Amino acid sequence: MEINSFVIFIAAIFTSNILLTNFLGMCSYLSISKDMEASAGLGMAVFFVLTFTSGLNYLAYHYILVPLNLVYLQYIIFIIVIAAFVQLLELVIERFSPVLYYSLGIFLPLITVNCAIFGISLFMIIRNYTFIQSIAFGAGSGLGWLLAILALAGIRGKVREKMLPKGMNNAAISLIITGIMALAFIGFSGVVIIQ
Amino acid sequence: MLIIINNVLTFVGLSGVLSTIIVIADYFLANYGDCKIDINGKREITVKGGSSLLTSLAEKDIFVSSACGGRGTCGLCKVKGIDGCGPLLPTEKPYMSPKELEEGIRLSCQVKVKRDLKIEIPESIFSIRKYKSVVTAIEDYTYDIKRIEFKLIEPNEITFKAGQYVQLESKRYGKVRQPVMRAYSVSSNPSHTDYIELIIRKVPEGIMTTFTHDHLKEKDEISFTGPFGDFYIRDTGTDMFFVAGGSGMAPFKGMLEELNEKKSKRRIVFFFGARTTKDLFLLEEMKKFEEEMHDFKFIPILSHPEPNDGWDGLTGYIPPYFEEHLRDPKNTEGYLCGNPGLLNASEKRMRELGIEDIYYDSFG
Amino acid sequence: MKLTPQEVKIQERLKPGVVTLDGFLGKDKRHYNEIIAEDLEVLKGLAKTKEEIADRLDYLTKKALPYDEDGVVIDEIYDLQYVTARGRIISPFMDRTFWPKGIITLKNLQNGVEIRWTPLSIHLIRRYGFFQGKGATFRTEPSDLIKAIF
Repeated sequence: MEINSFVIFIAAIFTSNILLTNFLGMCSYLSISKDMEASAGLGMAVFFVLTFTSGLNYLAYHYILVPLNLVYLQYIIFIIVIAAFVQLLELVIERFSPVLYYSLGIFLPLITVNCAIFGISLFMIIRNYTFIQSIAFGAGSGLGWLLAILALAGIRGKVREKMLPKGMNNAAISLIITGIMALAFIGFSGVVIIQ
Repeated sequence: MLIIINNVLTFVGLSGVLSTIIVIADYFLANYGDCKIDINGKREITVKGGSSLLTSLAEKDIFVSSACGGRGTCGLCKVKGIDGCGPLLPTEKPYMSPKELEEGIRLSCQVKVKRDLKIEIPESIFSIRKYKSVVTAIEDYTYDIKRIEFKLIEPNEITFKAGQYVQLESKRYGKVRQPVMRAYSVSSNPSHTDYIELIIRKVPEGIMTTFTHDHLKEKDEISFTGPFGDFYIRDTGTDMFFVAGGSGMAPFKGMLEELNEKKSKRRIVFFFGARTTKDLFLLEEMKKFEEEMHDFKFIPILSHPEPNDGWDGLTGYIPPYFEEHLRDPKNTEGYLCGNPGLLNASEKRMRELGIEDIYYDSFG
Repeated sequence: MKLTPQEVKIQERLKPGVVTLDGFLGKDKRHYNEIIAEDLEVLKGLAKTKEEIADRLDYLTKKALPYDEDGVVIDEIYDLQYVTARGRIISPFMDRTFWPKGIITLKNLQNGVEIRWTPLSIHLIRRYGFFQGKGATFRTEPSDLIKAIF
């Protein structure tokens, strides 16, 4: 693919937002979006994981799987790499910021099964990105995810429970807000097409 | 065939490399080396970093009070963090009052020892130990109250004030898969330092009292931690009103034995509440105290005497009987041990009569 | 439905011998989520919320407390007795709350219904709608509960 890496980076945040355009990575996004600080923390963690795992998975794919003709193992190998990296990240966070570690709680290890992470790695293979492009794609998607979760947390903070019909205060209102945000982001489409 | 070997090797190889990286990272990141803990500016201990403050202190025989064993659910293990404890964690915040937050009080089971620390704990904690003991006597006082004697094995001596309590540790039995810890006031004389005696009332569906009443036998080994508590006789010389119901007798038995041994000249009135004559016990001991002590009166009051009991003593509730025995409210102390209803009513009446110094066990 | 690790842990704590001797599940083999769901459906049919039930139980408990085991009759209908024990019991739902130990028994003198509860069981009803498993020592069917206390 002959697209400039920087363009991929920007596109991954806006026009091809992993969450609002491709609808990947919804579960932890929906559950944690009530708390602004925890959302920011989780968003940063996802950003790191996406950036590094896209690079690591690129290396694993092109320098281990392809030469050994084991391309079909990519699903398992990508997951293993993601899981290992998230473990490492957990250890680092626990050491250097116990407050963040406790406020993320179960959601930190849950990043491992976040489909957005896995999806990014698969997309970069399908679209035949180079190493730099992959990193840019990963970083951009991470920032896009972070942006989406911050926006949702901010909006949810403004929506008071009394305004809503009974029972809508959790997943229902989150999905509606997300849908409206996705509609807004459609406005970016056509600016640049990377998928 | 080669493909299969290739598959397996790649898979295992990659997993192995990644796992090794994680193990190495864990070793470096989670290894905090030796950390020094400065306690009250007086004592310094060195522990291996990485465990909670509660566990690290316990390893050095300093037992901060805990009911949940360090799982962050009881909120009892509070210590004052002076330096090095890190930021307050969301798991600690629900247990802290605004004043405690200001003073830097922490839950020691949530603070991880990662570097040198400075903390402050009450001096009395230093005398708390974990004791191994053996049951030497089990006696029925009433249909639901037992007296149990525990001879100390290791350490073989205990120092405590009459009125303090210990935390007894149950063993696994029946469907109870985990040991539990429960508090009981010590009823023996503190001058006997090689054993303790507890008076335990069976609570319906209680894990510990079912254990002690149905499963514990003589010669069984059991551990406990202690002594704890601020319920003890103040060394003042004033008159004393004791108020107890049921197993609340326990701390007073130890107190009276000690006061008798020391030939105290203080005037003591002991109001003991029960429902029927079946709930009374230690009547001979109380008579003995009345005879031997300088000025001691035991006043049992039954709330529901049965008609064929032949009870000709006092009936009704306890608080109305205070006034006629009160000599000088400014020189009388109240010591209470029993149900919340009894404690509230007694304290209220005592304050109405002008008694200001009132003490009771707060582990209810 | 997939259970979170927390839900699995809580279910273990509801079993006998962990928090109380007989546990909170009785003979019920279901997960507490299902028990709560079924009971809340029943409540909807009876037009009472769990908060209303818990508030009423709190009111009766407070009235019974000063009288301990001697018992008292409140409002000429409710014959109450409150037997307390020392210490506090921890909530099995890992919500870091502690409750006084004690059993309150009530007999409704008008319709004869007898029930009993504990301060912890009130908290479980109020916060989670958990009336405990069928056959548990402190379970009362919501319909009997409402008949007895309102």
